[in-house]
Amino acid sequence: MRPMKEPGFDSIEDLRQAGMRLEIIRYLALAVFVILAGRLWYLQVMNSQVYAERAEQNRTRALTIPAPRGNIFDRKGRLLVTSQASYNIVISHKDMGKNTNEIADLLVNGLEIDRDWLIKRFEDAKYEAKYESIVIKEMASAADVAWVEAHQYEYPMIRAEQAPRRFYPYKTLAAHAIGYVGEVDRRELNDPKSPFSRERGYKLGDVIGKAGIERTYNDLLMGKDGARLVIVDSKGRIQREIGRTEPIPGRDLNMTIDLDIQKVAEEQTDTMPAGRGVIVVADPNNGEILSMVSHPSFDPNAFSLRAKTDAGKDEIRELQEDPDKPLYNRVIQGAFPPGSTWKLMTTVAALNEGVITPTNNKIQDGDIQLGNYHMSSMSHEGFPDINRAILRSCDGYFYRLGLKMGVEKFEKWVDLFRFGHRTGIDLPNERSGTPPTRATKEMIYRSVLKRQKMDKGLEWTEKDEEEVKRQAKWTDYDMAASAFGQGMNASTPIQLLRYVAGLANGGYMYTPHLLYRGAPGGDREGKQHPEAKFEDKNKFTVPMDAEIHEIVLKGMWSAVNAGGTAGAAAIEGFDVCGKTGTAQVASKDKAGAKNKDHAWFISFAPRDKPEICSVILTENAGMGGRQSAPRAKIIYEDYYRRTRGLAEETKAEVAK
Amino acid sequence: MFGINRRYLSDFDWLLLGVILLIAGFGVLEISSAEPTVGLWRRQVFGVAIGLVVLFLATMFDYRRIVNAAPYLYMVGVILLALVLTPLGKEVNGNRSWLYFGSFQFQPSEFAKIFTILFLAYYLSGVKKRPLDLRSMIIAGLIWAVPTVLVFMENDTGSALSFTSFLAAMLFLSGVRWSWLAAASGALVLALIVAVPYVKTCKSYKCERIKSVYWPELAEKRFRYQNDQSEIAVGSGGIAGKGLRGSTQGPLGFVPEVHNDFIYAVASEETGFIGSFASLGAYLMVITRLIQIARRARERVGLMLVAGFASLLLYHVAVNVGMVVRLLPIMGIPLPLMSFGSTSVVATCFGLGLAISVRLRRFVN
Repeated sequence: MRPMKEPGFDSIEDLRQAGMRLEIIRYLALAVFVILAGRLWYLQVMNSQVYAERAEQNRTRALTIPAPRGNIFDRKGRLLVTSQASYNIVISHKDMGKNTNEIADLLVNGLEIDRDWLIKRFEDAKYEAKYESIVIKEMASAADVAWVEAHQYEYPMIRAEQAPRRFYPYKTLAAHAIGYVGEVDRRELNDPKSPFSRERGYKLGDVIGKAGIERTYNDLLMGKDGARLVIVDSKGRIQREIGRTEPIPGRDLNMTIDLDIQKVAEEQTDTMPAGRGVIVVADPNNGEILSMVSHPSFDPNAFSLRAKTDAGKDEIRELQEDPDKPLYNRVIQGAFPPGSTWKLMTTVAALNEGVITPTNNKIQDGDIQLGNYHMSSMSHEGFPDINRAILRSCDGYFYRLGLKMGVEKFEKWVDLFRFGHRTGIDLPNERSGTPPTRATKEMIYRSVLKRQKMDKGLEWTEKDEEEVKRQAKWTDYDMAASAFGQGMNASTPIQLLRYVAGLANGGYMYTPHLLYRGAPGGDREGKQHPEAKFEDKNKFTVPMDAEIHEIVLKGMWSAVNAGGTAGAAAIEGFDVCGKTGTAQVASKDKAGAKNKDHAWFISFAPRDKPEICSVILTENAGMGGRQSAPRAKIIYEDYYRRTRGLAEETKAEVAK
Repeated sequence: MFGINRRYLSDFDWLLLGVILLIAGFGVLEISSAEPTVGLWRRQVFGVAIGLVVLFLATMFDYRRIVNAAPYLYMVGVILLALVLTPLGKEVNGNRSWLYFGSFQFQPSEFAKIFTILFLAYYLSGVKKRPLDLRSMIIAGLIWAVPTVLVFMENDTGSALSFTSFLAAMLFLSGVRWSWLAAASGALVLALIVAVPYVKTCKSYKCERIKSVYWPELAEKRFRYQNDQSEIAVGSGGIAGKGLRGSTQGPLGFVPEVHNDFIYAVASEETGFIGSFASLGAYLMVITRLIQIARRARERVGLMLVAGFASLLLYHVAVNVGMVVRLLPIMGIPLPLMSFGSTSVVATCFGLGLAISVRLRRFVN
């Protein structure tokens, strides 16, 4: 098949033509190269920065080095809260890739994780920084860690990371004061105003204080996680470390709590008949809280150690649904009528306003008829003086004293004692309570009327406001009831604690608090801090000159030591001063075990140089003198023995 | 005609050989950088050595004798391609293009391309009709169609298209009417325009690969991944590159097939614009040189042979670099002399050897 000569075919001309066409191909080649070079210029010269960053992001991962949370000690340095070593199973979500379902199946089977929870977790993580890892199982068992290690080759993106867990060795002890920790909420993260917002550097999965001082002093306790910056390959396998940010450990903290007193107080609340009550003990000279019990209590370990287990979830649900509200801190969130403990407020007010004087203070006791109301008095002491009125807790005396004083002067003193205001204790969610004043009465009537109008779909008008004023008119009954601690009074135990401390020290109202000292050190932003102390910005004084103070002291001393209502609190050698109170929970006809009165006892000791004060509330138990005063005695006795070096002796005596 | 003498040595295209060695050496270096753990670069050195032997052997023969054997070589190529479709063939990455003989494996399509060029040169240089007549074009089309269809059946679209690239060039050089050329170009443009809406909605993996480049937002993420990573590798190299052994995209496995079809991505990452532009320039030099050889060829067979091979080389470089820099969809096309793979290196060297042989024999005795 050799080519044959064709007539009319000029091979020279043909080669010339072909050469021309080759030239076209050469230009085509040149054009192709210009285009490719242009693209290289665009990628490598004009935009290289963008790609360089993406390449870095590709290969680097930040692995968390958890910062240990600070330990919490009592005032004498005894450990109350610490952290335990434990492992989290995490997954690097950058490396999870597209087969989320496959990985979910694997994890559900291998690590026994709830599938729905896991899927939700994956969804949430989409909004997180790309190279962070997601925690998929906390408190991993040794078996879980072994499982992860066994799957390292096929699933290198799943890792076991160290993660210290909060551990509360005393369980329910002082749980309301200490609080508990848990993962930061999405809601809090996204709210720029919350103390745990993204703007402040928090991220999903961060463990923060949820209640108690764990929350108040979170910034001090928490520290900041460090990170290992590592190079990974495309499967997420770690190749080497290229950088490291050391964690900033959280700072330790001492609470004002005294473990010895706390233990005794806990024993006392354990025996309260209705299973509910409060004991709060403080130093009247500075507001340091030595013991805080709100009963029933809860075990904070449920939130940190068991929160992800089924048993732990049930436990938390039970706590939330329990009608006795164990999660609720009665000391700062429970508001009750203070009953007769309030009579000292009325006394201080009346003496200061000259309604009675230190020398002229006899008023009639006994029942009183006010219009249609008959107000009975448990006591019928004739015409007692103020001292007798306090020690016998004469209701009739204080009805009449209140009526004599009048509402203006009375309200002035309620406000001077700052009832109806939060004390500013260093705990979250304190309630302010309601003071027994005209404003409170109007507020109650207004809200009732507003509800009625709203149900009928009617507008609120000026006329309604007048109607409220008319209905909520302050009556003699209101005055008499308010003067002895009933009426519209709802005060929190912590308010009464500040009050009793003020009565003890002559009118200095320190803010009750739980921070004894915070260790010096760096915070989350890297700033150095000296030792932290509680700064009392809310302290104030109630005018109470020595003469008036003496009457208060004498009255309270007599109530305990001179045949008064609180005789059960007397301790030889330790001049306990106190005042009982019995707060009516329901009207008399509903009386029954469930609606028994709340028994109050507020007290301090010793009389002249007070060292310790306390508020005890035994809910639905009956009389304060019988139910609460003896508990104070046990606490003070224990304190007295220990501070006077008598503890050993006592033990020996008991042993006999 | 045969053997080494002074004239052979002085006429030998040392410049071309030098550029080839530079490219191949650069390739070996980058392969060792891309896959530092495995000794792939040693195998590549071995492949290049065989390639050089083949190159020298090819220069020693008079290319006209090789062209005369073209029909037989062509048949061998077609049989080998057909064998791939039998149980002797093996599928790699969705392309069934490998032949296994025990531990020895190779890709017949690489050789089939050269053999087809030889056969087309053999046939077309004998056609003495200007402008080229329809009958000759159909015969050339049949020569092209047999291996192309076989390669297409191997699911190797990139290689199938490479056959088309040199067929088009060789027909063009054989004097196709300009009007036909214009009509064909017009039809191609029209076909592309018509195909756009279809490709946008179609879900086959070929469409996904096209979408990944031109409409990345429409493409599935898993198809985009290779393009993204390759683009990142090239771009992150910047002007001066990350230095030899400095690649992170390659050795850490982000760019798939990195020693192979994507070697240029790692080379660009490590040597930056300077290196990637220079290597592109080296290829341009080779191709320009080949075109020059074609122009100076003694007669038509030599011209057609070298020009066909030059267009094949141009196609390979353009498509491979085009897919690495995300201008073209990903197709299994290696970068000649740089990509790992002895078959491709040896076949390319064979083609280059033929071209040098044409150059050596450009004077009529």
